[in-house]
Amino acid sequence: MPITLKNISYTYDRGSLNQKDALIDVSLLFEDHCYTALIGRTGSGKSTLIQHLNGLLLPDSGIIDINGQVIDMSLVYKTKKGKTVVDEKAMRKKHKRKIKEVKELRRRVGLVFQFPEYQLFETTVLEDVSYGPRNFGSSKEDAEKKAKEALSLVGIPEAYFSRSPFELSGGEKRRVAIAGILAMKPDVLVLDEPTVGLDCHGQESLLALLKKIYDSGTSIILSTHDMDVVLGHCNKAVVLEEGRIVSVSTPLELFSSGKYLEDSAIEPPKVFSFARSLIASGLAIDINRVKDCRSLAEEIVRAKGGQRR
Amino acid sequence: MKMTLGKFNNLDTIVHRIDSRIKLIALIVLLVSVFLSYGSAYMNLVVYGGIFILLFLLTLLGKTSFLLLFRSLKGLWVMILFLLILNIFLPSASASESMVLFTLFGVEVHLSTILNVSYILLRLILVLMMTNIFTSTTKPMEMTYALEWLFYPLSLVRFPVHKLAMTISLALRFIPYLFDKTNQIMKAQASRGVDYRQGKFKDKIRAIVSTIIPLFLSSFQVSGELADAMEARGYDPDAKRTRYRAYRWSLKDTLSALVVLLFLGGMITLAVLKPDIFVAMGMTLPQ
Repeated sequence: MPITLKNISYTYDRGSLNQKDALIDVSLLFEDHCYTALIGRTGSGKSTLIQHLNGLLLPDSGIIDINGQVIDMSLVYKTKKGKTVVDEKAMRKKHKRKIKEVKELRRRVGLVFQFPEYQLFETTVLEDVSYGPRNFGSSKEDAEKKAKEALSLVGIPEAYFSRSPFELSGGEKRRVAIAGILAMKPDVLVLDEPTVGLDCHGQESLLALLKKIYDSGTSIILSTHDMDVVLGHCNKAVVLEEGRIVSVSTPLELFSSGKYLEDSAIEPPKVFSFARSLIASGLAIDINRVKDCRSLAEEIVRAKGGQRR
Repeated sequence: MKMTLGKFNNLDTIVHRIDSRIKLIALIVLLVSVFLSYGSAYMNLVVYGGIFILLFLLTLLGKTSFLLLFRSLKGLWVMILFLLILNIFLPSASASESMVLFTLFGVEVHLSTILNVSYILLRLILVLMMTNIFTSTTKPMEMTYALEWLFYPLSLVRFPVHKLAMTISLALRFIPYLFDKTNQIMKAQASRGVDYRQGKFKDKIRAIVSTIIPLFLSSFQVSGELADAMEARGYDPDAKRTRYRAYRWSLKDTLSALVVLLFLGGMITLAVLKPDIFVAMGMTLPQ
């Protein structure tokens, strides 16, 4: 399901002492079945952008086209004292109208916030995961069926279904929370820094789960500070800086060029830097094949003539 | 500029610079003044008018938003209507002796009924104005300090004044966190299809539950973490401590205190003597 953003701008606390331009004239295309990473330093606008994708935030201006469902917030102008100015009243009305239209969008674009485990509240795991589908009109039986499928997808054993979600470990809670979104059968799964706060094993299993979801045909968009995740999993990297998009490329192109990295406080993955050092030292490694430690090891073996112990 | 009613407005005005202890005492004096009786109904209105002018000046001096205050009164229409209906249909014994202004659905509406409702509203507006001036010109920490200072005599009878002040201070600091967290949880639940605006009453209750439970849990967690962090840094609630910022009494504080004392004296005099300026001027007002 493709998502197109055209000239999106968004300002927090407009007209207040704390006014902050979070997105400025952002245009971007998320292709069908993409695995895209949004990267940039804290406060660059990643989370704000993510919240526009399922209508939690509506842009102050610009157009969002989600597979044909258009949120048109293009500016309305009026003439005042001979000058052309933005018609704030018309924009407010437009905003109110659009808020009512976005509910279906929330089913199609599932958004997993940072620390999603904090949204759990039901008495059992199964009821919590069924909560989303029921809100979108599924019958109790259908919602439970979808919940069971989602829980099985995220690897939660059936024995846990009747347990309280608050009895689970941190990693399990996160899986249950993600299942709560997956049970709504979204076409696009958007995650805000999904690996934050998880241990190594938790991170690995979560990324394996995301790969499984991606392979099943769901697009994945995630914001992250972890460049290993970007290199190892994503096929597109979008760099944001102070609310503007400064680069759209493949992760490899981004890390190879080095451009924008310093400005956006992005450090290439260690495995990538190590591979480049090896190439500089004369080892004929194909950098395009390096995604993680395993692929680097395979490249080293190949460059050395395929000699394995 | 947009501001939130009651939120500290970080400016440098003469009202901001007044010692928080003076401001707290002035707030208490003003609150008491508003609930004293000054004799006749018209005298009460005159005194309230005087307090209103004083608060208006303080609002201007403290650059507090007047517009926001009156916007917040918009929600009081239901209460005004309720008070009017209650007073019209269930008048007090003395009200029936008062002048009849008009008849509504066969019920006589007396002048004292309208005056009674006006008092309540005026008192409410004045209380809102004074608390708004106090909270928007006093930092939360200064407020805590003022409270601790005010409660100091209680420490002589071993009342845990410092603990109370610290609790209030932490509670105040938690308010922005709770706002942010509520917003975050509401967005997360909205992503799961929760509609906070529309739906049946039962759905709305469920939506509120889906917000409150995670909010409580995360608040307990954060407060537990904060307590641990304070203990880890050696916080001892019973220890004798000095202050990072020493509060020095200045000339303007003395002057402010004098103004507050004079005001208090004036109000007590008015409340005790109950002089009627209208009678003194030979005016006869309808009762």
